[in-house]
Amino acid sequence: MGFEFSVITESLPALLGGAKLTWIITILGIVGGMICGILAGLGRIAGTEALGEEPHGIFKPLSVVIRYISGGYVETIRGTPIIVQAMFLYFAFPMLVKAVTDIERFRIEALTAAVITIIFNAGAYIAEIVRGSVISVNKGLLEAGMSLGISRLQLIVHVIGPIAFRRMIPPLGNQFIISLKDTSLFIVIGVGELTRQGQEIMASNFRALEIWLTVAVMYLMMTTVLAMSLRHIERKMKIF
Amino acid sequence: MSSIIELKNVCKSFGDTEVLHNIDLSIQEGEVIVVIGPSGSGKSTLIRCINCLELISSGELIVDSIKIPDERGRIRQIRLEVGMVFQQFNLFPHMTAVENVAFGPSKARKMNKSKATDIARDLLDKVGLAEFENKFPGQLSGGQQQRVAIARALAVNPKVLLFDEPTSALDPEMIGEVLDVMKSIAKDSGMTMVVVTHEMGFAAQVGDRLIFMDDGWIVEEGKPAEVMKKPKSERLKDFLGHVKHH
Ligand SMILES: Nc1ncnc2c1ncn2[C@@H]1O[C@H](COP(=O)(O)OP(=O)(O)OP(=O)(O)O)[C@@H](O)[C@H]1O
Ligand SMILES: [Mg+2]
Repeated sequence: MGFEFSVITESLPALLGGAKLTWIITILGIVGGMICGILAGLGRIAGTEALGEEPHGIFKPLSVVIRYISGGYVETIRGTPIIVQAMFLYFAFPMLVKAVTDIERFRIEALTAAVITIIFNAGAYIAEIVRGSVISVNKGLLEAGMSLGISRLQLIVHVIGPIAFRRMIPPLGNQFIISLKDTSLFIVIGVGELTRQGQEIMASNFRALEIWLTVAVMYLMMTTVLAMSLRHIERKMKIF
Repeated sequence: MSSIIELKNVCKSFGDTEVLHNIDLSIQEGEVIVVIGPSGSGKSTLIRCINCLELISSGELIVDSIKIPDERGRIRQIRLEVGMVFQQFNLFPHMTAVENVAFGPSKARKMNKSKATDIARDLLDKVGLAEFENKFPGQLSGGQQQRVAIARALAVNPKVLLFDEPTSALDPEMIGEVLDVMKSIAKDSGMTMVVVTHEMGFAAQVGDRLIFMDDGWIVEEGKPAEVMKKPKSERLKDFLGHVKHH
């Protein structure tokens, strides 16, 4: 049994189908993860000097609550394996729903569970990236903006946002690649992504070398696309 | 003349440490006040209280007839009328010089972009930086950055300008260009200015009143030339001796 190139060409359609699914889960996951991460990241520093001045009145207790919720989310996700999160969402969560409500046939599609898992998982790590970048923005810039009479929201959008975003790009690239590779774990809930496709073909023809080599190259190509897109954005942003 | 800024028995504490004690100060429109004092004496804290970057712990602050703490919700209005220039310039690094200056009028004064840009160009011209309008802060010298920062503070058309050691971070050869801009603002526009600086020449030339602070107290105040010539307290004598030798 030497290296058979034909094995690769024969299994290519199925593997490409898997790669497509991997790509879809990743893109939906990181787009959702960005939204989730920005909200939770800003939530963790709500009402602190990193976002302008400390609030007063009702906003003070409100910001404390927001900080606790965001912090709890981030620590829970970071503190548990993604594979457990996926299993919980796919197998355990419907049971939980059944137990506390009257809904009998509650089910989550495997693909949906996969996307949601990546969104929440990536979101927690992105939240820390967002928080770190925002608190690294020189406080003097905020004071300069506030001294002009500019509102906190406008400063977040026009000053903190752009400066922090540029600093986020390298760690975001890292996280996007990790999320893409994490999709391979959804083999456990039966999503037909790339790794699962490879596993199934392998089980029928036992050509481990050809199959896993092809699968690896496909992952490498997808992560390269992600890395290059981020480098492109980084270069396009103004130099400062 | 009416006073545009008034501090009545103002104290400021950070945690348990009181760093400003019972400050009474009234500043008239058009007055140029120079604040001097040793490091840690509360000069920065005093002027940061005026535009509410620090909230006073007790007493009352009245700026352009807005009362703090009673009208805390109107802090942004105070800041529109009280601009600030910082030791470290604090220009927005991702904006060009002209964008930095136009940012205030377009966001805080809700002016349309082209009008804000016109104002910005005008001000950059006034501070002698017309040909640098498209440079980023990182491409400018310290003196140039500080002049852009002054133009930025002027752009929202404030009634008062606060300066916190505006020349302390500059190389000696650049101090003059910044002081010249400040002098012309004081002379031409009749702007009310509160300047923390150790440039005694500037104090003597454009200052209407000199305030000497030590340890959170206003220890002496008066006409700059008189205060400098005949300091009453030992602490000021001591301090002036140090300043002159540097
Ligand atoms: N945010 C803060 N938290 C705690 N203490 C502070 C804070 N800001 C200032 N202080 C303290 O308040 C006192 C006055 O500080 P301030 O910066 O006003 O002095 P200064 O006269 O401006 O000094 P310098 O000439 O060094 O700028 C100092 O003892 C300083 O340590
Ligand atoms: Mg100071």
